Amino acid sequence: MSMRRGQPLLLPPRLWFIWASLLVALMIDLLPLGRLLWMPDFLAVTLVFWAVHQPRRIGMVVAFCFGLVLDVHEASLLGQHALAYTVLIYFAIMLHRRIQWFAVADQALQLLPLFFLTRIITIVLRLLGGATFPGWEVLLAPVLEMLLWPLASALLLAPQRRSPNPDADRPL
Amino acid sequence: MRKAPTMLFETLYNTPPPLFRQGQSALSRFIVLSALALFLMVADARFHMVEQVRNVVATALYPAQWLALRPVLMVEEVSRYFTSLKTARKTEAAARRRLTEQSQRAGQVEQLLLENNRLRALLDLRKRIPVEAQAAQVLYDATDPFSRRVVIGKGRMHGVRSGSPVMDETGVLGQVTRVYPLVSEVTLLIDRQQVTPVINTRSGVRTVAYGAASAYIDTLELRYMSAAEDMREGDLLVTSGIGGTYPPGLPVARVGEIQPRSDSNFMRVRCQPLAQLRGITMVMVLDPAAPPEPALPDADDATANPDESDDADQAAGSGAGEGQYPRKPEAGP
Repeated sequence: MSMRRGQPLLLPPRLWFIWASLLVALMIDLLPLGRLLWMPDFLAVTLVFWAVHQPRRIGMVVAFCFGLVLDVHEASLLGQHALAYTVLIYFAIMLHRRIQWFAVADQALQLLPLFFLTRIITIVLRLLGGATFPGWEVLLAPVLEMLLWPLASALLLAPQRRSPNPDADRPL
Repeated sequence: MRKAPTMLFETLYNTPPPLFRQGQSALSRFIVLSALALFLMVADARFHMVEQVRNVVATALYPAQWLALRPVLMVEEVSRYFTSLKTARKTEAAARRRLTEQSQRAGQVEQLLLENNRLRALLDLRKRIPVEAQAAQVLYDATDPFSRRVVIGKGRMHGVRSGSPVMDETGVLGQVTRVYPLVSEVTLLIDRQQVTPVINTRSGVRTVAYGAASAYIDTLELRYMSAAEDMREGDLLVTSGIGGTYPPGLPVARVGEIQPRSDSNFMRVRCQPLAQLRGITMVMVLDPAAPPEPALPDADDATANPDESDDADQAAGSGAGEGQYPRKPEAGP
């Protein structure tokens, strides 16, 4: 497989690690921190990350199910997050071959429209359903999600960056 | 574990991607899942058909929610431990002052209750049924930015029913709108879809308060108030008991800003809810009051229109129980 110059060869990911990271992101989303409109969606970032890096393991069905879980938790319209996540992951999978040619910061920039799109889909759906616009802070969330992308790249790829044959000099 | 070279080889090349059998294309999956999501949304919003799905997911999610609550509670506990003695003294003084104020009122209530019972016996009206209530802890504010709801830690297993009114120590908070086995959702009275029947304790004007929460202010709105109605800033609105959900007499809001409008005969009335609507911790869940029975023949004045309600209340009270407030309360709570 052709790769970006200077990119290290990675170990294959552990399946349990993928699922554990998704569950941890879900738990962060479940934290009862009050009504913060600008709160970024950690689960969405993690899902996009794995859809970009491991599109064969994490696909739209997984994202759909996580979306339903969040819908029930947030007491929102059932299917709202499910649809948003499905769209998000579909475009992430469409992007995944191209995006890995860029540096991490550029990847984040390319994902910004994607995060905006999902937010706007939910807003439009709810406005159609008769809700009122909650305030402009809602649109801050996609920007924060973009800023989380480098962090996610550093954290979630760390186990794959380890040496394939650790010895006394390189314990990890 | 990854020492032997053969093992290394295996981990690098385990399960190569299939060349031909790749399942459905991403596009077809996308279309199917989006259609399913849209179907779920319509079924949820219009027909309420997917409550079972919600129930199952909610029950499965409960342990995770419980776990997510722990660190937040822990932080609160620690910060409470470190509040200074001064703050504690101040709160104690405030509580003592409120207790004194309330005990004075409570003394009056005894007397009024007695008087009320006698009057009711005289008028041969139904006795007021005591309302069952249970305390519940608020687990979290629902983060959905488009509605105003909280989730409480009591559900169907604890006897919470859909439609039950919910209040805190100062006033009505809202209504239980969805009941899961272990938790339930409370829609706050400032939510756009929430309507509360109220009565003005000073003038006896009956109306309904609509939720009017916008992005930054938590208010209620009285719509279709004729400009001739007797409403003044600072009036106390309590539940009227009409509609049968809320028991009568629970404090709801104080009338705030009143704007007469030159282009219509109605005025715009904004009200400030009495209950604390952000950062709620404990609430009381009341049993929904029984739907009012058809008015008794000798109390049919109860259905009089709001303009005549003054006279109607003075004459006979009403089947739904409006006649129980003193006409002019000496002091607000």
